[in-house]
Amino acid sequence: MQQEIDLIAAPPALSPGGYVAKAYADRVQPATKNARVEVVRQGAAWRIALSWPCASPVLSLGDDVDTFVDAAAVLTSSKADTSWMTMGDNGDAVTGVFWRADQEALTGIHAEGLGTVDRLPPPDGVRATSEWKDDRWILQLDFDAWSQLDQQQQIAVAIWQGAERDRGGLKSVSPGWISVAA
Amino acid sequence: MAKRQIAMVLDLNKCIGCQTCTIACKKLWNTDTGTGYAYWNNVETLPGAGYPKEWSGSGGRTSDGEVKRGQIPTLDGEYGRAWSFNHDKVFFRSGDGGEKKPWLRPDRKAQWGANWDEDLGAGEYPQENHYFYLPRLCNHCTHPACLDACPRAAIEKREEDGIVLVDQDRCNGYRFCVEACPYKKVYFDPQRQVTTKCIFCLPRVEEGVAPACARQCPGRLRFVGYLDDEEAPIWKLVHKYGVALPLHPEFGLEPNVYYVPPMSPEKLDSEGRPTGESRIPMDYLVSLFGSRVKDAVKILEDEREKRKSGNPSELMDLLIAYDWNESFALESNRKEVI
Repeated sequence: MQQEIDLIAAPPALSPGGYVAKAYADRVQPATKNARVEVVRQGAAWRIALSWPCASPVLSLGDDVDTFVDAAAVLTSSKADTSWMTMGDNGDAVTGVFWRADQEALTGIHAEGLGTVDRLPPPDGVRATSEWKDDRWILQLDFDAWSQLDQQQQIAVAIWQGAERDRGGLKSVSPGWISVAA
Repeated sequence: MAKRQIAMVLDLNKCIGCQTCTIACKKLWNTDTGTGYAYWNNVETLPGAGYPKEWSGSGGRTSDGEVKRGQIPTLDGEYGRAWSFNHDKVFFRSGDGGEKKPWLRPDRKAQWGANWDEDLGAGEYPQENHYFYLPRLCNHCTHPACLDACPRAAIEKREEDGIVLVDQDRCNGYRFCVEACPYKKVYFDPQRQVTTKCIFCLPRVEEGVAPACARQCPGRLRFVGYLDDEEAPIWKLVHKYGVALPLHPEFGLEPNVYYVPPMSPEKLDSEGRPTGESRIPMDYLVSLFGSRVKDAVKILEDEREKRKSGNPSELMDLLIAYDWNESFALESNRKEVI
């Protein structure tokens, strides 16, 4: 499967707490307009290649206190109709991996609703390679196996542009689940 | 809502700007690499730009109670990036680089830092020049903007004492709390990638010991205790006499650090005669502490006159802090454990 996706800004109104939803209510345009997703299944293994335009990559925080790094996440659902925009719901998880430009290892993600994201140790059997070239990030994720994806056959993506001060709920996301069925 | 609220009162008439509180705090809590610029407690000269520079009012709430989007201060701007000196070149490599007598100088252009505008103040000398010191720490607000700002619910206001804490295990370093705090008393540690802030010396308070900034203050200007303890100085200064006021009440967060406003000598006319007008303009104090500061200053003046004329004044005795231990009311016997 290969697909160009128009991304949307994750609605700030969904951000937990009383600040972000109001302070960033005007943030309705995604910092990253689109992304390219390519998914290949080989037996139990999955290869997911995600690329997106990024004119000003941020690869590390350095010792600055107002810098945010580029990042991306790829998730799948536990049910066909799991709510993506709310990062799942109680008892209805979204799971996947989180990549940051300043970290070699991936982080596991598990969430059951807004504000519930648990960051887990790097999942076994997943490798990431990344490259910034020609004003684009290219991120390739190789999963030896991803049983949840086997079952649901759908992913969703989120992208954070550090230069645009994306972080937390300030992100560009796929408008819904993307089918990876052949 | 906290069941009890711990609070601090600082008498600005007694602060000498010695920074002992700053160092007591810094040495105790903030010596990690990523927190070099972070001062949970600092002392600013007012009028002045403070630390971080022009910190006031970025975040918090409008007068209508609406959330205001704030800014994250930068190391190259509002905090100022730390510099070192060319000691090696000056003291150990004389003549290195063709410079026979190199001057000791910073290794970068220094532009701002904590205490940068110390003792500058305002006003023409000698008629109206003035300044005073403002020690600042987290206000452990009743309605903390930082807590409201965290989408991770990583900031907690403790029920038992109202102390506001960051759970660094939950913090993901988004820094919305830094943005939202209009007092700019939340800091980001780029090494550990979490935010940090004053913990009101929680481990000390739990043992009945005052926070380090208060305990080490040579001027005895800090009072610590619970707002509802009617036998203790905090309640008397805040509620009974109304002379201790929160900083920038208009931010709408109900700070729990209070200040006894500074009084000042009179301005002089061109002949050097006192004019009867205070050097620190009342409008300036109102901009810091709200309109109640007018009453507070009047009460302080009246009580001071009462004491000067030989009459008793509980308020003046409290502020003088004859028995320093009475300034801290943290245990049932309201005595600090020494």
